[in-house]
Amino acid sequence: MKNTAADNFREKLKLKNIEVQNSFKEKFPEAHKFFLEKGIELGKIRQHSARLIGAGALTGTLLLAPPTGSGQLPTPSEIIKSVENLKDNKIQEIPQKLLIDNLKSILPEVVRPLARDEEKRLEQLIKDITNIPAKASLEGEHLNTTYGYIGAEQHLKRYPGDILENHGPYYKEGIAPGLGAWGYFAHSKGELTTNLVDTEKWYAVVQTLYLPDWSSRQPYLRDWYKYRKVLIVNTKNGNSVVASIADSGPAAWTGKHFGGSPEVMEYLGGPRYKKGTVLIFFIDDPENKVSLGPVEYNKLNISSESLIQI
Amino acid sequence: MSILFFDKLVVLDKIDRKIKKISSSNEERQEFWQLVEEIIHHKVLGCCLDNLPSEHHCEFLEKFHNAPYDEKLLEYLDEKTKKDMKKIIKEEMKLLTKDLFLLDSHKMKPIL
Repeated sequence: MKNTAADNFREKLKLKNIEVQNSFKEKFPEAHKFFLEKGIELGKIRQHSARLIGAGALTGTLLLAPPTGSGQLPTPSEIIKSVENLKDNKIQEIPQKLLIDNLKSILPEVVRPLARDEEKRLEQLIKDITNIPAKASLEGEHLNTTYGYIGAEQHLKRYPGDILENHGPYYKEGIAPGLGAWGYFAHSKGELTTNLVDTEKWYAVVQTLYLPDWSSRQPYLRDWYKYRKVLIVNTKNGNSVVASIADSGPAAWTGKHFGGSPEVMEYLGGPRYKKGTVLIFFIDDPENKVSLGPVEYNKLNISSESLIQI
Repeated sequence: MSILFFDKLVVLDKIDRKIKKISSSNEERQEFWQLVEEIIHHKVLGCCLDNLPSEHHCEFLEKFHNAPYDEKLLEYLDEKTKKDMKKIIKEEMKLLTKDLFLLDSHKMKPIL
């Protein structure tokens, strides 16, 4: 069946796009010529920027705002020392409080892509407190940013004919009319395994579409990211969840960098949590030992502590 | 630092909700997102160049090309234009949101 609302919108959006581009070209011919000579499409400047950030973060040449309470990034020996201190403190403090306090001291006040040494320090911190092998870079892959805003997403249809009523108990966000980036999770209801139920329940959305090499490294990247496990940490309260990447987005112009399923968002911040700052790191789990869902790391040491709601 | 220096000034949530509502597939949704993204980049850069005296255009374009993520570009623009460019870009985005919304209003006038 023809999707008339979408077709109508597409047609008008394309015309608007052409009109805006032509107007820019006519008004600023020197700028148009500049981008032509540089071989860059202004419409794809985000990918160019992501490429520069990636290279700069690796070589440490970016002029990043310093982390809170620190004028300089730590040296590797400082990282080791701080983690050792952490181990000593852990005996006395609630792990979640320790995580929150350390995140405060490592993360910058303003959300931005992190430098590699900041990410390394966070990897150590997370491993030590939650015992999850989280990595900002895994097998050479890295997201455009590992620190950003997460927004609430809808449930995804898992098989043809799936409806919202099958996704209890969180119905408020609804079910997306379209499919996730990797289509249905199963061909039919009968083929939906417990594992796939969990994959949709605890799903994350990341901006694969803005990766600088997304188009040029297909189908490898598409397969690599499909259901890739990530650790999401709410940087305000330390609540953490293991999720699988099952959709691509959100659009860059929404002010968000990641998305979370209704279950993920509920666990990260409670029923009213719609947007907040998080860290997202890949999980190095070749043997598939890390389960999807909440990371109840307080229970590793103190069984009576409950997670904090915001 | 954002991915683009103006990212924090551009939030078009309502358009995104509209796109999610009408898209039937992930490909369609991403196609719409990219079209909107291209419009935004041209609008924002046009807005910057509109307000920036022409003698600074070359320097600004070089700076933008070398570090599109650098939020210091806003300080540069404020200094050279002697205007509050954050405010101006936000206003431009409000107008764009209205424009894009009107695109989708297919209410027809009754034929008399």
